[in-house]
Amino acid sequence: MALLSVQGVTKRFGGLTAVNAVSFDVAKGEILGIIGPNGAGKTTLFSLISGFLTPDEGDVLFDGQSIKGVPTHVQVDRGLVRSFQIVQTFADMDVLDVVTTAALAKLPMVEAIDFAAQTIRRVGLGGKEYLTPAVLSLQDKKLLEVAKCVATQPRLILLDEVMAGLTMAETEAPLAVIRELNASGVTIVMVEHVMPVIMRTATRIAVINFGEKIAEGTPQGIVEDKRVIEAYFGEHLDA
Amino acid sequence: MKPAFFQALRNPLWWLLLAALAMLPLGLPSYYLHIATLTLVYVALGSAWNIVGGVGGQISLAHSLFVGTGAMLASAMLLNSGINMWVGLVVAALVSGLMGFLIAVIDFRFKLGHLSFALITLAFAEMGEIIVIGWDYLGGASGLFLPRDKGDFSAFQFGGGEGAFYVMLFLAALSVLVSFAILNLPLGYYLRTIRDNENAARAIGVNIFRNKALAMVISAVLASIIGTAYARYLTFADPYLLSSPVLTIEIVLMATVGGLGRSMGPALGALLLVPLGEILRGKLGGVLPGLHYFVYGGVVVAVILATPRGLLPLIQERFARLRGNAKPEGSVASSGA
Repeated sequence: MALLSVQGVTKRFGGLTAVNAVSFDVAKGEILGIIGPNGAGKTTLFSLISGFLTPDEGDVLFDGQSIKGVPTHVQVDRGLVRSFQIVQTFADMDVLDVVTTAALAKLPMVEAIDFAAQTIRRVGLGGKEYLTPAVLSLQDKKLLEVAKCVATQPRLILLDEVMAGLTMAETEAPLAVIRELNASGVTIVMVEHVMPVIMRTATRIAVINFGEKIAEGTPQGIVEDKRVIEAYFGEHLDA
Repeated sequence: MKPAFFQALRNPLWWLLLAALAMLPLGLPSYYLHIATLTLVYVALGSAWNIVGGVGGQISLAHSLFVGTGAMLASAMLLNSGINMWVGLVVAALVSGLMGFLIAVIDFRFKLGHLSFALITLAFAEMGEIIVIGWDYLGGASGLFLPRDKGDFSAFQFGGGEGAFYVMLFLAALSVLVSFAILNLPLGYYLRTIRDNENAARAIGVNIFRNKALAMVISAVLASIIGTAYARYLTFADPYLLSSPVLTIEIVLMATVGGLGRSMGPALGALLLVPLGEILRGKLGGVLPGLHYFVYGGVVVAVILATPRGLLPLIQERFARLRGNAKPEGSVASSGA
């Protein structure tokens, strides 16, 4: 049985259909990549899965249970967590405080602090525990997003463009963390713009364009898919 | 509970400070004892408010509602229904807690932003004052005169003067302790995360409503208890003092000057501003009416301009720099500051 099953999910904002009848399954242990041009509806899709938005139609099942309209904190409790594309800031908390709050989802106070400190080192932010997130580099801010997710001890993580804005070299650290997480049994769904990254990381890829899923398959199959090429480069001209 | 909490409790400095404060009434003339007691009232109220306003970042202007309920309801129950004031204290605290909960429900149900939250709580506070003034049972516009304080503890009497000082010292210490405990408990982490970034808090599993409501109820119950004791100390439950939104403004002002979100911030603000206000009034009140308000206002403006985050963070950072280490409680290390 699929760990996450998105079934015909639709979301409209006024006259605009941001996500239109999208369905896909994510098996336990997979890394599913979701790609698509800007404005394709990827982030909206994440918000629908993670409970920040409620679908107008369709359903989302996590571990066989519907999570449509279930509050976010309950979802985190069950093991589903998301990161944000736009890096989140905290005015008066340090890195350790923020990650500790995430760890409190599953652990009591003292254990949460220990686990948060471990998680911070694990993602490669060791030594930056007492910095305010605002002074971190973009790469470190992205790592903090990952650390927050990991600290909640999830079964499935939705990563929203964790690599966006990073140079190829800078993506190495977050990618290593993601692969390590996956190896330890965490299922991953990642939205990503950076094609080489997703090609090397994902076990399967779904392509979204104009709110609809236009293709799904292995990374190799996807790059050769005609509809995908059209979505990214426009229609082919036979001249 | 974070170990830092117990470490701080074991720090002899706090116990010495408490002992020194406890000795204060011994050598103090009654006028200064009054100022000291008043200061403790505001230390207690500021710390109670800080749980919601400072740690949780929700600028509640409803706190006169809770103080007023504690003061007017408990007094009215004694005078008009002959109910022991201890019972009145508990009933008023429960009513205040319930009102705090309802405010949290409204906040959550209508997803109020910061400004709407402040305005709606202010509207509630105004309504509260109007209800008190218009309702004879609660004393109406003329307020309620409590029987003379004969020091009968079982009747919520503490013998005025020194007795009242110790009651307020206890409540101030309790209020500071509760907010310090909250900062070292998951509740404090949740509240700070909600304050700094509500969406990010949601995403990592923080139950927004439960934690905001819990903070509001704790804060309301504390404010109510302090209100009952304050009315008893004044012997006169004055609706224009105890159930007026102006009281909340004073509390917010002191907490801001001291430092929001730190357990000792509001205490520092009250310690500075209450004696300053009283002394200025004593010295300047007779010179030119209103002059003391000008000077008081000037000091407040100067402090806020000089250190917008309050005096405590400033002092803590200076100390941290002197010692070259140690991260101030509830704040971010000196990286950017």
